[in-house]
Amino acid sequence: MEEDTFPVLEVRNLYVTRSKDLVIEDASFAIHRGDYVGIVGPNGGGKTTLLLALLKLLPKEKGSVRFFGEDIESFSHWERVAYVSQDAVNFDTHFPLTVRELVALGRINSTNLGRRFNQDDWNAVDKAIEFMGISNIAGRRIGQLSGGQKQRVFVAKALVRNPEIIIMDEPVTGVDASTQERFYKRLSNLNTSKGITILIVSHDLTAVFCRMSKVMCVNRAVNVSDITKDLDPNKALRWAYGEHFHFVFHKHTCQRMFNDE
Amino acid sequence: MNELWHLGLFIFRLFNYRFFQFALLGGTIAALACALVGLFIILRKESMIGDGIAHMSFGGIALGLYLGVQPLLTALALSIVSVLAISYMRKKGLAQSDSAIAVMLAIGFSSGLIIISLAGGFNVELFSYLFGSILTIDQLDLLLISILGVSALLFIGVFYKELLSMTFDEESSRLMGIPIDALSIGFNVLVAVTIVLSIKVVGMILVVALLVLPGLAALQLNLSFKGTTIASIAFGVASVLAGIFISALCDVATSGVIVFTAVGFFIFAATYRRLG
Repeated sequence: MEEDTFPVLEVRNLYVTRSKDLVIEDASFAIHRGDYVGIVGPNGGGKTTLLLALLKLLPKEKGSVRFFGEDIESFSHWERVAYVSQDAVNFDTHFPLTVRELVALGRINSTNLGRRFNQDDWNAVDKAIEFMGISNIAGRRIGQLSGGQKQRVFVAKALVRNPEIIIMDEPVTGVDASTQERFYKRLSNLNTSKGITILIVSHDLTAVFCRMSKVMCVNRAVNVSDITKDLDPNKALRWAYGEHFHFVFHKHTCQRMFNDE
Repeated sequence: MNELWHLGLFIFRLFNYRFFQFALLGGTIAALACALVGLFIILRKESMIGDGIAHMSFGGIALGLYLGVQPLLTALALSIVSVLAISYMRKKGLAQSDSAIAVMLAIGFSSGLIIISLAGGFNVELFSYLFGSILTIDQLDLLLISILGVSALLFIGVFYKELLSMTFDEESSRLMGIPIDALSIGFNVLVAVTIVLSIKVVGMILVVALLVLPGLAALQLNLSFKGTTIASIAFGVASVLAGIFISALCDVATSGVIVFTAVGFFIFAATYRRLG
């Protein structure tokens, strides 16, 4: 069977516990090449726990997680997967790194441990910086960046690995609405122009339903719906947030919010 | 003018003495290793590990003197055991980092005191390890300092980018395929090696200053990581060399002058940052 026919990510009957509490229960879903998935759900619903378990950064109770058809227990090609954590932008602002130095750290993988970066690595770094539109701040110290610039830098760090899937945990927390809007636009470009599969935890439901192809609702259980197929957002969201939840949304909201289409 | 000529001649003549050559070489190697390792220690927010291991090496020095073997070797062995014990306690959740360091500090110092009392009290040689005695570095010391120093520099040189990544973001680094647990243990052993090789230069009590001050001064300058590393090395080496020359000229304790020079660099850099 060709590798391309496998889903990028396939989860079956996944159970994850944290401090003896069951946080993820019987999750099963598949993410395919080119999907742009918004992960939504209430606080404490298990979104971050789910991501950490997918990335093998947290042990699972039972079930299976497969990247590109290979079980994560034996999966070794982590350079194909990039992750931007929830705390990525909350670094020590006195840490002595420039944007270019930080993005270069994204090039590290299991095959180049203990060797210096070569010209190819630095070319890839400059390309990722250029793609994210941050060439003008490449020499600046990371502690001097604004919230929006930090997000772009960390996406560039993820991008420099030439990943096939990028997983992001609330990367736009604490920045203003227009910066968030520009950020989601860049991710859309990344998804369409490079075909990179994107999974992103977001509380911006408008961005999820306007920009993305699938919505993954997480509240202990996991439910993935295809947005492109006339999905009723309220039906999907009530499953995660409860029956009282009402989300006012019309397709034309997307044109008003994102006038770049 | 005549006084300046005599001063220059005095310094020039110092280079002919073997003890001075050994001091310069041993001091430079120790300063290089301390500046590099110290920068990572500061960024990992583990400055106190230097103090903990230095106290553990006190027990090792005392044991070496008691048994009549090279004290730096016994200090190295006990220091490595102590960093592994600190890592174990942290990993198993027995103690937080600072508490684990405090435990090892206490064990090292108390065992040293017991051994000293068994040996019948302090002697001059033990004082030279406590407060440093760079001008008494002999051929065997220099050989040991060189081997340990080159090992430390090689380790940092080879795993520079992995150490930096791990220091900045451990979780992402683990995902990138960096063997965090092994590298952390390797780094802690490196800290032990660096401290032991610096004991003859500034002594156990002041070694933490040589580890932390150059990096701290360099961090004030708001440079890139590469620039900060170079500045840290420059401050460290300059402190040691200035300490050796000033102490030779003024006949004062070398380790004290080295640390005071490093403090001077820190104050200078901090002032530069405030004014800049």
